[in-house]
Amino acid sequence: MSNLDWAVLALTLTGIIAYGLWRSRSRNNGTMDDYLLAGKSLPWYHVCLSVMATQASAITFLSAPGQGFSDGMRFVQFYFGLPLAMVVLSVTFVPIFHRLKIYTAYEFLENRFDVRVRTLTAGLFLLQRGLSTGLSIYAPSIILSTILGWNIYWTNALMGGIVLIYTVTGGTKAISYTHLQQMLIVTVAMFLAGWLTVHLLPDGVGFVDALKVAGKAGRMNLIDLKFDPDSRYNIWSGLIGGFFLQLSYFGTDQSQVGRYLTGQSVGQSRLGLLVNGLLKVPMQFLILLVGVLVYVFYQFQEQPVFFNKQEVEKLEQSQYAPEYQLLNIKHQTLIAQRQRMAVEMQSALETADDASGSPAQTATVEQTRADLRATDESLKTIKADVVTLIKKNNPTADTNDVNYIFLRFVLDFLPHGLIGLLIAVIFSASMGSIASAYNSLASTTIVDVYQRLVNRNADDKHYLRASQWATIGWGVFCIIIAQFANRLGSMIEAVNILGSLFYGVILGVFVVAFYLPRIGGRATLWATIIGEVLVIGCYALNLMAFLWLNVVGCLLVVGLAWGLQKVWPPQPKRLKAESQPD
Amino acid sequence: MTTDTIPPIGRSWPQLYAVVIGALVVEMILFYGLMVWLT
Repeated sequence: MSNLDWAVLALTLTGIIAYGLWRSRSRNNGTMDDYLLAGKSLPWYHVCLSVMATQASAITFLSAPGQGFSDGMRFVQFYFGLPLAMVVLSVTFVPIFHRLKIYTAYEFLENRFDVRVRTLTAGLFLLQRGLSTGLSIYAPSIILSTILGWNIYWTNALMGGIVLIYTVTGGTKAISYTHLQQMLIVTVAMFLAGWLTVHLLPDGVGFVDALKVAGKAGRMNLIDLKFDPDSRYNIWSGLIGGFFLQLSYFGTDQSQVGRYLTGQSVGQSRLGLLVNGLLKVPMQFLILLVGVLVYVFYQFQEQPVFFNKQEVEKLEQSQYAPEYQLLNIKHQTLIAQRQRMAVEMQSALETADDASGSPAQTATVEQTRADLRATDESLKTIKADVVTLIKKNNPTADTNDVNYIFLRFVLDFLPHGLIGLLIAVIFSASMGSIASAYNSLASTTIVDVYQRLVNRNADDKHYLRASQWATIGWGVFCIIIAQFANRLGSMIEAVNILGSLFYGVILGVFVVAFYLPRIGGRATLWATIIGEVLVIGCYALNLMAFLWLNVVGCLLVVGLAWGLQKVWPPQPKRLKAESQPD
Repeated sequence: MTTDTIPPIGRSWPQLYAVVIGALVVEMILFYGLMVWLT
């Protein structure tokens, strides 16, 4: 990184934090309502950008382009359930949460069932969110450690610590105002990155040509209609599994519920969520497309055999260096071959277009496509051999380089200034989601545990101070978790897998609460415990792709609660009148 | 009338819900078309 990059990075981050703190100080009354929910004063566009910034962590901008590069566009299907979930939330959850004037989603569960169900669900949330926030801290930390050779443990501590400054002092208002700036910078920088990637392609290869090459190489795999429970990403897992995951995430995860509860009214919260539903799929499409464009760029360029430079350098200095050199030569030979094929493919595609798809030209395109795919397979085999060597050399090495692909491309090929801006994007995106997570962990700890079970009669000032201390405590916990997060493969998948273990079960509790008024607290409590054990069992035994765990978890809790209610003496406790959905 | 009954933009909430779901359907059709065209 040059001085210009450092200046851009420092200015961007300082500007975001200072603006957030300034805006929140001038409008903060120092109450718990202000600290946890921004005094319920924010308009719909604040709600929208805040939920988007909370969901789009650094993981999104590190892993998603890497996924696009290595696996194509099919990951976009994962988000198909989101717009549907936004509609269901707007109809059901939002009006109830607003009317009950609650701080956390779990307060509603005591209103509907009893304190045991509330505490258990809040506990599951704290466990899941605490662990996944550790991953969110680790994500940008690997960038600094890769670029500067900093110690990863100290980098984690620094990253998690910076967020604490404005989260503890400014509360939800600071978080929300910083989210606005973060989303603006993220959008501008990702558009610039995509545009420059196309600009870096060889002369004569434009945006549409790049898409065609990507299509022939199997990277434009946007829709998979085949129903296969073992396939991670197809239209069905996206629509059904994704719907359940997003409904659980936005409806029952306090880091999101806390965002839309800041809306001035039901209407402002609803509109914020619906606009999020409109924007999310195109946004993910564009982020993945940047990764696919990077893939096309490397079709015409030399490509490293493994994108994590640090691990390769360690290998080059080890006893396995000769074996690695041999593999690297093979790799470079194949890359040179692939470059020639890509050029052939490009000209064949152009000619095929001119000749309106004559059989001879189509055959040429098909032959080159088959050759390209065969070369890709050979490259994968060589990479697997290199990974084996890396593992032999360093058994604790991170052998998945998906998260390094985009970063390596940015550092090697994008101009100075933009490098600093893109690093700032990764940082600020990470800070946005970490801040929401800290805030939600603190509010759940104080409202659902401390205020409810430990100290019920303190004044507002006491709870405000307790919330600030809880934020610090969770910050420290998440930083500790981050220290153990370095061997989880693609982080975006790791976070979603972790979420899927808990979200379905938590959603099941809320589904029972909203739609099955005859089922009582005892049946729901045991259904939740048994359901969680079974979901973890399904994952441990690898019975299905992780997205389906959300569906299974939810259905298990609903089914078990219904069955247990039949077996046990009924304890009907109807939904209170004020909590009926519209 | 408040924003709870009439949305800040659009005529009614059901209309906005239809727009969100309709946009998803259009996106899926466009993605499928793009995939078929490019593959």
